[in-house]
Amino acid sequence: MIDMMPISFLFFAGALLIAALPKGSSGAAISLFIPIIAGWQVYQLPAGTFAEIELMGQTLEMMRVDKLSRVFALIFCIAAFLGNLYAWHVRDKVQQLAALFYSGSALGAVFAGDLITLFFYWEGTAIASVFLIWARGTIGAYHTGLRYLIIQIMSGVILLAGAAMLWRETGSIAFDLMTLNSLGTWLIFLSFGMKCAFPLLHNWLQDSYPAATVTGTVILSAFTTKLAVYALARGFAGTEILIYIGAIMTLFPIFFAEIENDLRRVLAYSLNNQLGFMVVGVGIGTEMALNGTASHAFAHILYKALLFMSVGAVLFRTGTSKASELGGLCRTMPMTAFFCLIGAASISAFPLFSGFVTKSLIIDASAKKHMVLIWAVLVFASAGVLSHSGIKIPYFTFFGHDSGKRPKEAPFHMLLAMGLTAFLCIAIGVFPDPLYALLPYEVDYKPYTPNHVVGQMQLLCFALLAFVVLMKSGLHPPEIRSVNLDTDWTYRKAAPSIMLSLGRGLGELLRSFESALTSLTKDSLTWLERTLGPEGGISAGRPLGIMALWIVILLALALIVGYI
Amino acid sequence: MMFDTPTAIALSMLLPAAGVIANLLLRHSANLRDSITFAVTFATFLSVLNILANVGNGTSETYTLVTILPGLSLSFNVEPLGLLFAILASGLWMVTHIYGIGYMRGNKEKNHARFFACFSFAIFSVMGIAFSANMFTLFLFYEALTVSTYPLVAHKGTSEAIRGARTYLGILFTTSIGIQMVAIIWTFAITGTLDFTQGGILEGKVSTTLATILLALYAFGIGKAALMPFHRWLPAAMVAPTPVSALLHAVAVVKAGVFTMLKVGIYIFGIDFLAETGASEWLMWLAAFSIVAASVVAMTKDNLKARLAYSTISQLSYITLGVALANSMGVMGGSLHMVTHAVGKITLFMCAGSIYVVTHKTEISQMTGLGRRMPITFIAFLIGSLSIIGLPPFGGSWSKWLLLVSSADADELMMIGVLLVSSLLNVAYLLPLVAKGFFLRSEADEFAGVKEGSSFVWFPPALTAFGCVVLFFYAGYVQSFLEPLIGAG
Amino acid sequence: MKEETSKVPENLPITGRFFAWFTDPAHAKYIIGFLVILCVGLFLADFTYKKYGHFEAETYKGFYGAYGFIMFTALILAAKTLRSFINRPEDYYGSKAIDSEEYPEAQLEKLEHSHD
Repeated sequence: MIDMMPISFLFFAGALLIAALPKGSSGAAISLFIPIIAGWQVYQLPAGTFAEIELMGQTLEMMRVDKLSRVFALIFCIAAFLGNLYAWHVRDKVQQLAALFYSGSALGAVFAGDLITLFFYWEGTAIASVFLIWARGTIGAYHTGLRYLIIQIMSGVILLAGAAMLWRETGSIAFDLMTLNSLGTWLIFLSFGMKCAFPLLHNWLQDSYPAATVTGTVILSAFTTKLAVYALARGFAGTEILIYIGAIMTLFPIFFAEIENDLRRVLAYSLNNQLGFMVVGVGIGTEMALNGTASHAFAHILYKALLFMSVGAVLFRTGTSKASELGGLCRTMPMTAFFCLIGAASISAFPLFSGFVTKSLIIDASAKKHMVLIWAVLVFASAGVLSHSGIKIPYFTFFGHDSGKRPKEAPFHMLLAMGLTAFLCIAIGVFPDPLYALLPYEVDYKPYTPNHVVGQMQLLCFALLAFVVLMKSGLHPPEIRSVNLDTDWTYRKAAPSIMLSLGRGLGELLRSFESALTSLTKDSLTWLERTLGPEGGISAGRPLGIMALWIVILLALALIVGYI
Repeated sequence: MMFDTPTAIALSMLLPAAGVIANLLLRHSANLRDSITFAVTFATFLSVLNILANVGNGTSETYTLVTILPGLSLSFNVEPLGLLFAILASGLWMVTHIYGIGYMRGNKEKNHARFFACFSFAIFSVMGIAFSANMFTLFLFYEALTVSTYPLVAHKGTSEAIRGARTYLGILFTTSIGIQMVAIIWTFAITGTLDFTQGGILEGKVSTTLATILLALYAFGIGKAALMPFHRWLPAAMVAPTPVSALLHAVAVVKAGVFTMLKVGIYIFGIDFLAETGASEWLMWLAAFSIVAASVVAMTKDNLKARLAYSTISQLSYITLGVALANSMGVMGGSLHMVTHAVGKITLFMCAGSIYVVTHKTEISQMTGLGRRMPITFIAFLIGSLSIIGLPPFGGSWSKWLLLVSSADADELMMIGVLLVSSLLNVAYLLPLVAKGFFLRSEADEFAGVKEGSSFVWFPPALTAFGCVVLFFYAGYVQSFLEPLIGAG
Repeated sequence: MKEETSKVPENLPITGRFFAWFTDPAHAKYIIGFLVILCVGLFLADFTYKKYGHFEAETYKGFYGAYGFIMFTALILAAKTLRSFINRPEDYYGSKAIDSEEYPEAQLEKLEHSHD
């Protein structure tokens, strides 16, 4: 019985309404309105399980509300609102619909109480989000979108397979804490890992996010990967291997980000690195660490969106997001530059900005457990974050070498979206308590101690100093037009050629077999016709003749068999 | 007005037969002929529903028409799987008939009367197959179906069409008469009966080796199931006008094949017997090969209908796989897939046809940018594709789920892998059309001013696309309807 | 135009002129000077409170500063080395791949800053 409508349906209803209405600002208004109502609803929802439905003999829990799901749902609503505000100028219905279906699916997945519901919404995010890439309308985006979709759907079907195995093993499809002790759970783990961009499974992220539309990337950045973090936190909290996976995730993207030219791809690498922190938090699995993961996801969605927004605004005005083509834009896009700096400060975790009060929960949790190596890696990665997101993005876009470009300031709605996001980044940094209150467990942590503030400032300022030294000495790698190989090489270069030759070879093989078979049947048919069948006749008549003949043979055979 | 079950069975077969005659008699008055045929499709559907109302998901007694030998008779009965097949075929016949009128007129095809007469005859055969009470009856109607569809495949009368039709006929006849009939006679010789019996008729009467051989004879003999390597007839049949491809080669003919496969698996061998002897293990691997290989070939096809044909070959093997996995979930998954795939694939074929009617384009690479001009058709195509890939909220996701569960039950991890890979291949060959259609522009923008065809052409695929959604929510009913198959009823 | 930017006022918004001040090479020495003073100050600040931590290293004076400086430098140099292995021309995946194609103009609002 449905006691209460799942919140995701609100988004779907809104999407259908947009589809029905004529093209215009009404669509954009609806996409703003829906997340507000949904966010309000989420905030007020009591804990518990609602909206159970029966499908295929399974009881599906559409709404499992607790503190963990609520905090993720809340930030998803906020992100949907801000992203849609940023996209106010978009009149393309496809993108409006996709954004609502996508954020609605992400919300639905967060509230899923069982693995089948999770699968539905999991695939929902995959299908809806690809339209934000395809909407760019270029051949490159088409190919990238297809690659993205295949990987996302792969993650979904692996989840389904895992769920099937788990169900037959345990008799339950509930989505609760799991241990990695069977193939089923490993498959589910793998599925989450693909969406979470685990090392070696990560490259869809850097491939696809820069390929989406200006506004699409902002929306994409919020949901898919954080949904995966939520799923890991729900299903695999305290799974030790996640600590190491997460640590590697914080590390390797910073090297790639440093030498990447497309700033939206730099941000995608940076996103990957931030996910690493959250995954480590899930892996440690203590209350403090899980609080850290949830709060870091919350803060991260905001500042990452802010950074994507500012780079998107530059792309919107100049037609490029490549560092080698940009520089010096602070003169005519000062507001965008200002918001970008706030995003940069937040992701770099400067005191008074949001990253500072959330990331430290995770790093401290690792220190509390005396994991010295992990701790050292996380601190190093924090310095690395500064290098690409804190320095590279604002410096090479808005400051640094003057590109001579004098674009107009971003349009008002974009500035408004950035302003609100920037406000939230600072608000969380200055007053962390309301966010802490939303977290799944009681927070007993004071971020603003001299120890912590000075330590963090030292780390960042000396790193800045190192940057200055490297720039002055000419050791810092210059921005050049280029691409860097990553694991996508395997499926963008190697696999297509293998697949193509495989497909051709198989086709050839089948064809020769087929023609042999066809000629054999044709010969035998002709022979039969000539010896036994009625001569001539039109094409329609001939088979009837053969048919009659065969029926006679069949009956004769049946008679013989019957009397033996 | 309700009839008793034997009358309703007779009606559901006689009505299409009457449709044949009506079409031939009224070949010169198009509107009257098409309206009467529509009335016939509707009445046929009603009589099938009549049977449903009478029998539910139980099994009726057997009605024998003629007895040829002891144990060999022309007889009919109703059981859940057959009834489901009959509902599916007669329901989709109505939709396709509307579509067929739009297509044949829109395309200015010739010989409408012969076309619709053969169509009705094919449905007559399908009804016979669906209600067959034994393998002998089924076989006769199976052959009748081949014969009646031959003129449909050859309809265009071009040399290419004739060649395609000959391949069609050649492979289907050779397999059915040369292989399947041997299996049937052999079975009859061993057991003295051909009746479809719950639990099978072969258990305890044949050794494992013999069971394996017999299964091979059936599996290859049922050429309509398009198990590789006897699949070539299906792409060859794509020369037919699209309504034929839609109903016959996505629903009636190919589903008659896998339906026969299911019947043989469930009622001749018996699922438990298959599971105990392991006789179907090789079939599972062959089906898996078919699934993947046909998908790979589909990717290389630029012709839309050819691509859909290979996709069908791949999807049919899902059902064969369901039988070969030899457990209750496999049977369920296979049977449900028969329904979900039918609804999804008929949508795709009708969309292909509606594109052809409007633009006369057959190659996918020529359809770039067309989606914006024909949004309903392309959205229907998208929905059909998603259902076939097995994504929510469309029916196909449930049959894939059951097959996954079945593979898990049988502890066949490789089959899980095959199903996963197949989903991804489906994405790779079905969705490019949609993406290119909506999001890319052709160089010359040649589709400026192109609009959707008449409502006869776009409405039916939209309806079946909606059916994909409905199936998602009501698949549970289909499942419980089929429960007697696995002995739970 | 490029050479003149620092000299000719371009009718920039006030915030823009504020930011532009930082980009002037002539002002770099002030910025660097400020940063150096800040760093020294932060190092000295370590002597003003009791340092504690879960690891011994954390209690060393100026540990975070040194760690930040060294690791940042190492990161940049390592990334530079990495680039020499994996760098490819922009059209490596084809001229129509996402990496090298232009963003479609129709979806943009490319406007110049107006000088009024």
